[in-house]
Amino acid sequence: MGAETQESASAADGRSVRARATGLTDQPLTAFAVAVFWAWLVVRWTNDFLLGGSLAPRGTSFFPTAPIEFAATTLSGVAADLGVFGLPFQWLAGLVGFVAASIPYLPELATGVWATVLLTVAGIAFGFVIAVPLSIARVYGGSVTRSLALGYTELFRGTPLLAQLFVLYFATPLSIYIRELPAVGTGFVPAQAFWVAVVAFTLNSAAYQSEYIRSALNSVPEGQLTAARSIGLSKVEGIRYVVLPQGLRYAIPGWSNELVYLIKYSSLASFITVRELFEQADAIASETYRYTELFVLAGLLYLALVVSASLLMDAVERYVAIPGLGASGR
Amino acid sequence: MSDPLLRLDDVYKSYGDERVLSGVSFEMDTGDVDVVIGPSGSGKSTMLRCVNRLTEIDSGAIYLDGECVTDADTDVNELRKQVGMVFQDFNLFAHLTALGNVTLGLRKVRGMEKSAAREKGYEHLEQVGLLDQADSYPAELSGGQKQRVGIAQALAMDPELLLFDEPTSALDPELVGEVVDVMRDLAAEGITMLVVSHEMGFARSAASDIVFLDGGEIVEHGPPEQLFENPRADRTREFLGRLRTEHEEG
Repeated sequence: MGAETQESASAADGRSVRARATGLTDQPLTAFAVAVFWAWLVVRWTNDFLLGGSLAPRGTSFFPTAPIEFAATTLSGVAADLGVFGLPFQWLAGLVGFVAASIPYLPELATGVWATVLLTVAGIAFGFVIAVPLSIARVYGGSVTRSLALGYTELFRGTPLLAQLFVLYFATPLSIYIRELPAVGTGFVPAQAFWVAVVAFTLNSAAYQSEYIRSALNSVPEGQLTAARSIGLSKVEGIRYVVLPQGLRYAIPGWSNELVYLIKYSSLASFITVRELFEQADAIASETYRYTELFVLAGLLYLALVVSASLLMDAVERYVAIPGLGASGR
Repeated sequence: MSDPLLRLDDVYKSYGDERVLSGVSFEMDTGDVDVVIGPSGSGKSTMLRCVNRLTEIDSGAIYLDGECVTDADTDVNELRKQVGMVFQDFNLFAHLTALGNVTLGLRKVRGMEKSAAREKGYEHLEQVGLLDQADSYPAELSGGQKQRVGIAQALAMDPELLLFDEPTSALDPELVGEVVDVMRDLAAEGITMLVVSHEMGFARSAASDIVFLDGGEIVEHGPPEQLFENPRADRTREFLGRLRTEHEEG
């Protein structure tokens, strides 16, 4: 009985340590900001893509700029009156002025965010589908499958993502095939360059994800598969029902990292003309010459996406947590 | 009796240059409880693992129910349905509850319906006295409880033969009793068991036969009274003497 209480006590400790380490989810302000951000995105996308601009015409902001500009001017005036002590007000005026100046660009940037989100989700999801068998091949495969999987992983991790995008877009007929498909480039279905980028991110992300999953599979004790085999499960069944459910839980932290990377690396798709967030910001900036504002704005939007992804993965990790397994058990 | 349930015929096994089993021949009948003892490195665990082919033998043959199970074309998964195994370090599936551990084989190997598997799972958890821990995960169980779940897991498959690989060696001394009690109950119920263990209390009271293995060969094989009270071989006597001293010191 003594050992029992001891063990359950240490399990409880493990949980509280993890909760302390998590952080983001425990901050209601972050959660609130993320909720507002996504509410805006969803309303914007619905209005632009589904309702044909019935709430606000496409490209027109939901928010009026005049009152905010007025506030900025007023603050600026106050600052001028206060002389040296007005400096904080001057900064505040600058910030409010930035917000006012940003608002007109938000609708077009939101369209870019749509492409970025789609690109990331498709890349990570399709990549995952390839990464799981790839990592199993690395850990449990025979010498041939093992070297094939290794070759794939090294090829896609060892060459620049940008080069992979260029090769797929310019050197293969992939974009021509995709262009022939129905619905491509109409409504909210992006044009062919986007799909080429999805293919590139899928292939690339599969390589990285398979590394995370491989090391996670290796951390599942060998006895687990032995026990699975000893009740009569085949090797494949043992991997599927025993090793994977544990290994994938171990893989969540590394996998979350890959998701965050992919959100930001998706900006490389702008080099093959995909109108995602970065390309959108760049395009507006080259028309308006407001480079600083637009790249700061794009940066903030990427940050919001990354924070959302971290929150989501925290929630997933908590949801699938099992006492003694994964981060909470080590 | 026609065929014995289990028969090992001149089994050899080496790991590299190291010979672990050299010409082991042995048989046991349905309902027997045989306990294998011997110094560490004597090949006890290897012998056990050869029976359900977690380890492949080099030469010789093993028969279960008269059928050779060491043939290359034997379906190992079919064999393992009939031979349950309880491990020294439990090897419970860490992502499943106690009930999940017991029912995984029923559902995925036996192809039982979820509800029927649950019912049978509860039955076997009750058999090892852990019905109240059905929803606990392995990390929430004590060592003794883990091992009892391990036993329930093996039992649930209704094996013809249950193998125990040092089931109490990884346990704190005060937790050994609960596991031995369960094993004693199974022996009384007539479950056929081949046990590698140094639990002398269990060996004396529940075993039909004791097998003394040393240096990869069976030195002596006989009923517990004979083997413990009047060992024929010097090596057996020496080993038992050492075991007793350790016990008294411990």
